[in-house]
Amino acid sequence: MVGNDIIDIELAKSQSNWTRARYLDKLFTKEEQEYIITATNPSIMVWALWSMKEAAYKLYTQLHPSRFYNPKSFNCKLQQPHQVIYKDFHCYVNTQITSDYVLSEARLDNCDMNSMVIEFHTQASQSHSQILHEKLIDVMSNRSHYDRTPLVLQKDSFGIPKIKYGQEEINISLSHHGRFGTYTFI
Amino acid sequence: MTKDDLIAKLKIIVAPYVQDEAAFKTLSEDTDFVSDLKINSANLVDIILDIEDEFDIRLENEDMEQMLDVKSAMAIVTAKLNG
Repeated sequence: MVGNDIIDIELAKSQSNWTRARYLDKLFTKEEQEYIITATNPSIMVWALWSMKEAAYKLYTQLHPSRFYNPKSFNCKLQQPHQVIYKDFHCYVNTQITSDYVLSEARLDNCDMNSMVIEFHTQASQSHSQILHEKLIDVMSNRSHYDRTPLVLQKDSFGIPKIKYGQEEINISLSHHGRFGTYTFI
Repeated sequence: MTKDDLIAKLKIIVAPYVQDEAAFKTLSEDTDFVSDLKINSANLVDIILDIEDEFDIRLENEDMEQMLDVKSAMAIVTAKLNG
């Protein structure tokens, strides 16, 4: 199982004002706020921590199908290797930061990131999720062991996506924001 | 405050964060902030802060947990106002 999340840094700047009153306190623990305040680039730290929480939440809800909004309870630990802890659940998170985006991938084991990133060349964000779905199916279909039987993307009642391949179910994770999308499967 | 007044106030609050205008036009109690209005999850906290300011209430982590649709937001605000 895997969860991922991508943030377009440019878009995040215009969509969210994390310096507004009470904002940080709603989303981040004291320890995380300390990471932000002491960071060389506090904005990037905000989005790195946010993407870690989102990726961990996506992984958690695959294990425990549910839907809720409690980002503050997903505690980011920045000692190596980075981890996110929620109640008795914990996972390892890899984060990649470029000048354009922040990408996090959460796994139950400590291993390398395998999320792939695509850049969109159209504006309409509604079509971005469609482009991302098609790209994922395309890449998976080209794997030799996924021949003949069609791969079908399905979402359960909680909105958690999966690929159906005959009787088999494959865990995936998708995320898109602004100019960027990311997909991963195991 | 009537149900309709509350929905009207919430509609004004969520408007700046909506990514799906068609779903916004038909907003009702059953509208979901994320799957229908396509509101970015990082903006849900803005909605929560705006609700706090508008109604002069404070929402705890547990209140936020289910704040994913209009119906839940209405229930939480009503409970806080009556509490």
